[in-house]
Amino acid sequence: MDYAAQTAVFLLAQFPKLLAGFLITVGISAAAIPLALALGLALLAPRMAKSRPVRSATVGYVDLMRNTPLLVQIYLIYFGLPVLGFFPSEFTCGVAGIALQHGAFLVETYRAGIESISERQREAARAIGMNRFTAFRLVILPQAMMRILGPLGNQLIVLIKDTSLVSAIGVAELTMTGKVIIERSAASVEIFVAVALFYLVLTSVLGAAFRLIEHRVAERI
Amino acid sequence: MIDVRDLRKSYGTLDVLKGVSFGVAKGVVVVVLGPSGSGKSTMLRCINQLEDYQGGEIRIDGVPVGYSTGAQGRNAHSEAVNARLREQVGMVFQSFNLFPHRTAIDNVMMGPVHVRGVAKAEARDLARALLAKVGLSEKADQYPAKLSGGQQQRVAIARALAMQPKVMLFDEVTSALDPELVGEVLRVIRQLAQEGMTMIIVTHEIHFARDVADRIIFMDDGVIVEEGAPERILSGASGARLRLFLRRYQGDYLAS
Amino acid sequence: MFNVLLGNLPYLLQGALVTLWLSVAVVGLGTLLGVGMGILATTRSRVAQTVVTGYIFVLRGIPVLVVMFLGYYAFPAFGLRVNIYVAVGLAQIVYLGAFVAEITRSAILSIPAGQIAAARSLGMRRPAILRQVILPQATRIAIAPLLNSALTAVKQTSYASVVGVWELTYAAREIVERTLAAFQIFIGVMAIYFLICYPLSLAARWSENRLSFSH
Repeated sequence: MDYAAQTAVFLLAQFPKLLAGFLITVGISAAAIPLALALGLALLAPRMAKSRPVRSATVGYVDLMRNTPLLVQIYLIYFGLPVLGFFPSEFTCGVAGIALQHGAFLVETYRAGIESISERQREAARAIGMNRFTAFRLVILPQAMMRILGPLGNQLIVLIKDTSLVSAIGVAELTMTGKVIIERSAASVEIFVAVALFYLVLTSVLGAAFRLIEHRVAERI
Repeated sequence: MIDVRDLRKSYGTLDVLKGVSFGVAKGVVVVVLGPSGSGKSTMLRCINQLEDYQGGEIRIDGVPVGYSTGAQGRNAHSEAVNARLREQVGMVFQSFNLFPHRTAIDNVMMGPVHVRGVAKAEARDLARALLAKVGLSEKADQYPAKLSGGQQQRVAIARALAMQPKVMLFDEVTSALDPELVGEVLRVIRQLAQEGMTMIIVTHEIHFARDVADRIIFMDDGVIVEEGAPERILSGASGARLRLFLRRYQGDYLAS
Repeated sequence: MFNVLLGNLPYLLQGALVTLWLSVAVVGLGTLLGVGMGILATTRSRVAQTVVTGYIFVLRGIPVLVVMFLGYYAFPAFGLRVNIYVAVGLAQIVYLGAFVAEITRSAILSIPAGQIAAARSLGMRRPAILRQVILPQATRIAIAPLLNSALTAVKQTSYASVVGVWELTYAAREIVERTLAAFQIFIGVMAIYFLICYPLSLAARWSENRLSFSH
């Protein structure tokens, strides 16, 4: 058989394993995304608080996450917690690390969206008699959500790509699976091309889905 | 000097110019009137090859613009040839299009320095003279953001003049201006006309058209509908489409 | 409390030095590659546009770690023996290039078409238009996003450790495996990365604020 045919047969044989790894990747993402979104929301109020110490503490956290690699944060959690007596699973460590980092990025995304709604909108809302909270709920929030959707979608796609890092602590997601297959067989680059394809399909589909959601929301508003 | 024959242009299936023919002799000022979508701006942009065209011929001083017709049919000119042509045709745009990251005088110097390779000092002198001509000497070192619309447009005119073009094309240059700023720009154009510059002016300013035009062309829907001396065209003795246009744009014009 | 960290600091600092070299090489060459491809994408050549668009799409859709593995395995697959730093470094350069290409392309395309028309109507040709009109303005627009991608690239040098490249994070893991003092070591390493990255992050934020007001 020629090279192309051989490779195709081989890759097809590995497909179930790769698919299993892919599903774990999806699982990590599905677990980390809600946590990150929630963390970002939870940090939003302190991030925009009037009190300077509260604001600075939050900014400090965001800066810490922004200026240190996610991999090191994951290592800290995975290798560090046992020292303190906790033994969470690799999966949990990975999800936690990802959520903690992306929650910090997301709070900035939320904030940028809200602050981008011009001061005039707020004034206009108050001028027709809304109090601060109603103004926020009916005028600022809907428009902010529109502004946030794009960057939010992008950030979540970055999150999904970051799940590849948990291969470093032994979680059998897609990247790790690729590595294992290569180590246990004569396979080489082709496996990682297949891995790349899996990721590409995932990110493209999600990217398209987000753009669709953006359009639909834009029509409503 | 400018010879347009049976000019045809389409965007895909949409025909924008459907056989436009006219000529502009040296020193003559032609004003083109017409409703939006009549193709007047497109025609202007074909003359300096900012747009290509599919049929007909344009010649400036006998030299074909954009395409040469040889034994094998139509050959498109290279970008180099088109660029050389554009050095001789000055254009001023509705939205001024000044370079925001350069001062007024730098804008005016752009052409001579970066196209003709003129030395900076010499170009600066030329630019200063041109800015003085359009009445903006004191604004030479200002950035466009600090200038009013009328001032920006006058800088744009000076910038085009810096290349010492044979012909000047004006594409609705006062349409984006606040009413009180229109006069200063028209004044500069009027002065150019008096100095004998060959010009094609697309505008909505009908009073100005009567004032400065040697000839008026009325375009509608991709063709020239009427053409002639201002007094005749703009008096009551004109066709139905032109009268409709005049009524819409300056309702009181015919009455005056 | 931090004595293990302090004891191993020299070793970690050596790792930090490697990280710095890697970062400079990746950011420098990756940005260069990306700017070149970004400019290519704005030419009239259909081929160039398709190639660059495809390059950007594929690379931005997969994790950098996968690209690093591809780089690691690609050379031997073609029978070439290449230094691991070169293999993985090249992978990172190609990866950063995609992001920089997109930033460059959108910065260039954001220059209003009217200015290009005005430049052309003066008789300017494309190289002069690029140099005098487009790039000066596009650079201002692109600086903040470029600094942010540089910041990301620096952090991503740590991922190379997963592929087997020896730099700061790899050194840290070696020490942790030997001493089990995970907490101190990784906190120390985070501090070192913070020191390396914070200036970049400040520069990015400064440029975001200062350069978004003009024009």
